[in-house]
Order: sequence, then structure tokens, then C-alpha cells
Amino acid sequence: MADDGALMLPEVNSDMNNDVRELQDSARQVLAGLGLAADEAASWPRIADLGWLMISTPEEMGGLGMGLAGACALQVELGRQLATVPFLPAVLAIEALAHGVLADNVQWLERLTAGEMYVAVPLADCALNVQRDSRGVLLLTGTLLAVPSADNASHVLLSTLHGEHVGLVATAQPGVTVIERATWDTTRRLFDLQFDAVELEEHHIVASGSQAQALAMRLGVQRDFLLAADAVGGAAALLQMTVDYLQARTQFGRPLALFQALKHRCADLKAQTEAAEALLLDSLGRQQMDSADGIACAELAGKAAKQLACAAFATVAEEALQLHGGIGMTSEHNCHLFLKRALLNEHLGRAPDSYETGIADAFLASCQPTCASIQTL
Amino acid sequence: MVAEDSAQILRQQVRAWLQANVPVGWRQAMTNSEQAAFVQLQRQWFGKLSAAGYATPHWPSEWPGGGRSLADQKVIYEEVARADAPRLILFFVALYHAACTLLECGSDAQRQTYLPKILAGEIWCQGFSEPNAGSDLASLKTRAERRGDNYVINGQKTWSTMAQYADRCLLLARTSKAEVPQAGLTYLLVDMHAPGVTVRPIAQITGDDEFAEIFFDDVEVPIEERVGEEGEGWAVAQATLASERGLTLVELSHRMRYALPLIAAQMRDSGREQDAALRRDLGRLIARVDATCALADRYLLKRISGEEAAGDASVVKLYYATTLREFSLLGSRIAGLEGQYDRGFMRGATQETGNWPVDFINSFNWSIAGGSNEIQRNIIAERMLGMPREPRSWQMTAR
Repeated sequence: MADDGALMLPEVNSDMNNDVRELQDSARQVLAGLGLAADEAASWPRIADLGWLMISTPEEMGGLGMGLAGACALQVELGRQLATVPFLPAVLAIEALAHGVLADNVQWLERLTAGEMYVAVPLADCALNVQRDSRGVLLLTGTLLAVPSADNASHVLLSTLHGEHVGLVATAQPGVTVIERATWDTTRRLFDLQFDAVELEEHHIVASGSQAQALAMRLGVQRDFLLAADAVGGAAALLQMTVDYLQARTQFGRPLALFQALKHRCADLKAQTEAAEALLLDSLGRQQMDSADGIACAELAGKAAKQLACAAFATVAEEALQLHGGIGMTSEHNCHLFLKRALLNEHLGRAPDSYETGIADAFLASCQPTCASIQTL
Repeated sequence: MVAEDSAQILRQQVRAWLQANVPVGWRQAMTNSEQAAFVQLQRQWFGKLSAAGYATPHWPSEWPGGGRSLADQKVIYEEVARADAPRLILFFVALYHAACTLLECGSDAQRQTYLPKILAGEIWCQGFSEPNAGSDLASLKTRAERRGDNYVINGQKTWSTMAQYADRCLLLARTSKAEVPQAGLTYLLVDMHAPGVTVRPIAQITGDDEFAEIFFDDVEVPIEERVGEEGEGWAVAQATLASERGLTLVELSHRMRYALPLIAAQMRDSGREQDAALRRDLGRLIARVDATCALADRYLLKRISGEEAAGDASVVKLYYATTLREFSLLGSRIAGLEGQYDRGFMRGATQETGNWPVDFINSFNWSIAGGSNEIQRNIIAERMLGMPREPRSWQMTAR
């Protein structure tokens, strides 16, 4: 209970830690005021007004310069309240534009961070086929998956197969079909975007060649960390809610929280939640994506953080439903909202098993301890 | 930045020293060795470490090797783990439990008498647990009766690590029957060579005998050997139990990470390197091991900054113990039938040897000793999650 759950980054200077902590504290208050799974349309302008979309933008581009760690601190809080707003993809889009070669990227960033426009990003691994037609125009074909709140997006950020390009396409452009896919998780709205020979305009290319590959990799890493943060927040909040319920519910003349069989299960969930949070923070504190090696290391750390956090959230959610008993099966209780978000989180990002096998493959190839221990190597 | 640089310098120093001094081939030498060889290795390794000033980094600065910050101690432990140096099992109770108890609760005379002896290699053991007082330590029954200037001890202690080699024992005994069981306990330092002390090693299921039972028959202990006041032994014992301040789990977690190649080697040896299901399990284990290290590191950082909360240590221990179990189980599963053939055991080798049935059994040392997983879960549930405590009294209800 003494644990305030604020992100405390190891190995990072303490001013930065304090800034992140203050921001996270205020975010928790604001989001508690908005409530659980608060309405997207009402919450989004609020989040933009508070400047949260500027958190990871570099200071020289008018942002707060708190990087991925700052964005993750907010995402933990958003996860705690099952926020419906597409903060996560917005951060990825801002990251792409900040690191891309768009001539007018400062203008883009201003509008994005102010919340005047929203550029969506797919949350599943997917890429489009690209071909040059006889006029030399780049044409995109294929489907982008799991694009959050795409109906509110002016553009979508996409990668092409084999990483030739990362670019932007207006969702209203001819040949783009936006299809809503209802998910069990009602705290997010996901869309498929079908592309049928859609032009990728030259002035909308964010990166090409090796730069595009590096950027796509970087965005994949950030997506993993942010999904991990969402799961860490969700797991912590759901465990608290479950413990509160066990305290309040009386059977056999005593609170359920007095039964050791149930206490021990909650303790195990607490340990898993704490471990997921510790790994996330430790990895965030170490990641330095300023070199190819750094990105490769961060990718592994992000995979581990995402795998562990999403698995912990799913376990907490499964146990929470059981511990709530019948009331958890009713739609008016919030338990199922957490459960469905936890289930979806495991399937966002890369294919689920590829996290585990990716970590193992890298380890077996080098047979060195993982990159997290790089400082002590 | 300055602190970071000095830590980096220390790291390089320790690393270089370990490279030159860790006994080469100690693991092979300890495989199916006699216990005498193990004791000799431990004494030699302790001698080297203490001469270099790395055996007592947690002691105050007026003592040789002492005065290191927690951050520096962490560096030393990380490097010891990285170098796969032997753990100082034989001297652990002396260096940590005894020393920290004396430093925190002992008299000046006790400190001046015993700390130099510990530095010179005296071996200590802990006499807390009893056959009928394990998790419920406060219910212990070994008696200490005041007769003149002595306490007279009668009773039995058990699970006392390396007691068969010990010169001295940290004894928790009952001096009165108080209403609250904790209130009647007194903390004494007992000469293991005194008349009436009998030690019987306990044969473990691995074939090793790392711990022993101790029998006390009218053993006389001068009252000067009492730590703290009569009846205040419970509080002193808390100082003993808190003595390693999370450093052990930092070391052990990092050792577990450095031992991950054992799993990779087993996959190769068993011809199952390409097995996708095993790769998935390995990836999951690596993430868990990384998380264990992150938890242990974070716990130490919290201690350094004074932000430790009740239950934090329990989370680290519970997570370490369960991860260690998974580690040995995965190795065992990959090794298959071949892993089940008896290859003996390695003395003092910690829990990761690649001899999977033994590693599996040894993993229980961490889920049972030092507060079992069940006790840790109680602590987490009650002190972190705020769930109600077990009712104090219990009685059979008539059917």
C-alpha cells in the first residue's frame, strides 16, 4: 500500500526521475477524475491540452524531451484506467516524424502534439506491398491490421515489405478502405485498412532504405515497451480492485480476504506484477537507441518486457475473474473490461510466440547473457 | 557522474582481481569430492578474499575491508557472480549474521572479541530453528536457565548450516514462558567446543550434508555472552535475519543469469537446439531471469535511497525461488532420461550446475529456508496488499 507505483528509473539522473514521477502522479489524478474506460471523444482533447502528447518529443522540436520513459510512465496510468484514447499509436507517430525526413516535420509535430490531428499506427506487425507503376509512382497494396481509432485519423503511418519505406497516407485517399473490426476488448476500437493500389506520395515518405528499416525497428521496440507499460498499469489496478473486493465480500462469516488460499494467490499475482514492472523500468533505464547495436539490444529488452508484462496482466485477469466469482461474469462489473484488454494486449505487437522464440534465438546465437546485463559485461 | 566513475573503477579492479584469483577448475574439483576438500577450498578462498578486502565490504570502515557503500557492495557481488567464484558458504553466518548482529546489538567487548576472530576465519553457525519450530520460530523450546553467572542450555536445534565445522553458535533460547512467545527469548553466543554440545550432520537427499542438528545438554554459557537484554532475543534475531540486506539475492539472481548458457548447452547436447517448443520455453525463462535480476537490483536501489517498503524483500525472494525452480525444471526436461542417471553432486556449488535432479532439489533451499514461499506470501498479502492477518489462536471445533 505504501507503494505509490510511480516509475522510478534506475541508472537515470534523479531530476529526470522526479519529473517523470511528478507527471505520473498528476496523470493518475487526472485519469481517476475521468474514470475507468472514459469516453474517447471527451478524453482525447483533455490529454492534448495537458501536453501529454509532447512528452516524448525532443526538446529542440518543442517537446518535453522525456523520451520513451516518460511516454511509458503515462501509458502505465492510461492502462490503469483502461483508457480508450489512442495515446500509444500517437506517440509512435510522433516518434516517427521526429526521426523522419519529412521537409515539414516541425509543422506536423506541432499539429500532432497539440492534438489538432491524429496519425494512426497499426499495433500488429504488418507491411504493405509496394510497386512503382509506369509513371514511377509508388503504389501500395495490402492490409494494415489493428489500427486504433482509424476513423478519427487524418493519416496512417505504414511500412512497406522488406522495409523500403516508412510513410504516411491520408485515410481518405482513394483506394483506402477503413473497416471497423469489433473486438471483445471494448476499451479500444481497432480497424483494418485495406490498400488497393494507393499512391505513396513522395512528400509523405518519412524514411527510406536503411533509415526506414532502422525506424521501423525503433517503432517496434517502442510499441513493445508501451504495450508492456499498458499491461503493467492494468495488472496493478486489477489486482488492487480484486483485493478490495475480497476485503469487502463476506462469506462464512468472514471477509474472503482472510482465507489463506486466496491471500496466497493474490501474493503470487503481486510478485508477478512487481517483476513485470521492475523489468520494464530496468530495461527502460538501460535502453539507448542511438546506435544499431543499441536498437538491437533495446529490441530484445522490449520483447522481454512486453512478454512478461502481458503474461502477468493475462494471469492477473484470469485469476481476478475467478476470485470475483459470479459477479465477475456480469457485464455491469468492470472485471471483464480488464480481462478483455489483457487478452487483446497479448496479441498486439508481434505474434505472441515470436517474443519468446526471438529472445531465445538471440541468446542461442550469442550464448551470452541478455543485453540487460550489458553494463556488467 | 563521479559516483558512476568510481563504481566503474571498482568494477574493473574487482574483475581483474577475480580473474587472477578465482580457483581454476573449482567446480570439477568439488564434483564428488570429500567434504574435507570442500572445507579446504572454502578456507583458502576466504583467506584470499579477506586479504584482498573483498570479504567484508558490508562492515564499518574501522574494520579491514569495510566501509563500502551498498552501491559498491552491489558491484562486488555482481562481479563475484560474473566470475563464477565459489560462494563463501562456510563463512556466511560469521561474516553476515554474526557480524551484523554484533555490530548492531552487541557490546563493545563482544565486538572487540569476536570480529577479529571472524576476520581470522572463525566459523559460526545459527541455532534458531528447532524440530518443532520452523516457520513458527517464536514457538521454540530450547531452554536457557540462569544459574549464577551462567545460562544453562538444554534443547535441540536443527537445519544449522555447516554446524559440524562451527566454532561458535548464534543461539536463540527461551528464558521465560511469556504470554507472547516472542517475549521470553534471549540471544546467546555459544562456544561449540563447550562440554555438552553434540553435532550430528543431516544426510540430505542430494547426498550432501550441508546442515546439522545441534544438541545442548547442560551447556554453560557465561552471561557476558548474551547479546542484548534477557527476554529481548527476538529483536536481536531480527537484526540477524536482516543482515545481508538483499545483497545475497542480487548475487544469486545474477548467478542465475550467468548460468543460462547451461540450458543452451543442454539443448545442444540433447540435439534439441532447433526444438521450437523448447525455444519458446527458454525465451520465457530468460525474460523471468532478467526480471528476477531487475527486481533484486530495484530492491537494493530502494534500500540505498531509503524507500524500502514492507514486503519488498519477500517479493524478491519469492520470485527468485520460483524462477530458480523453473530453471532447473526446464534443464531437467531437456536432458530427459539422460539427466536422470546419477552423476553425484558438486559441493558448495550453488544451484546451477547442469546436474538437473540435484539442481532441482537444491532449488528448494530457497523456497523453504529463510522464510518459506508460504511465509513470504503471507507477508506480501498482509503487509503489501493489506489483507487481514491470520487469526492468532486456533482450536479444534467439536464435530
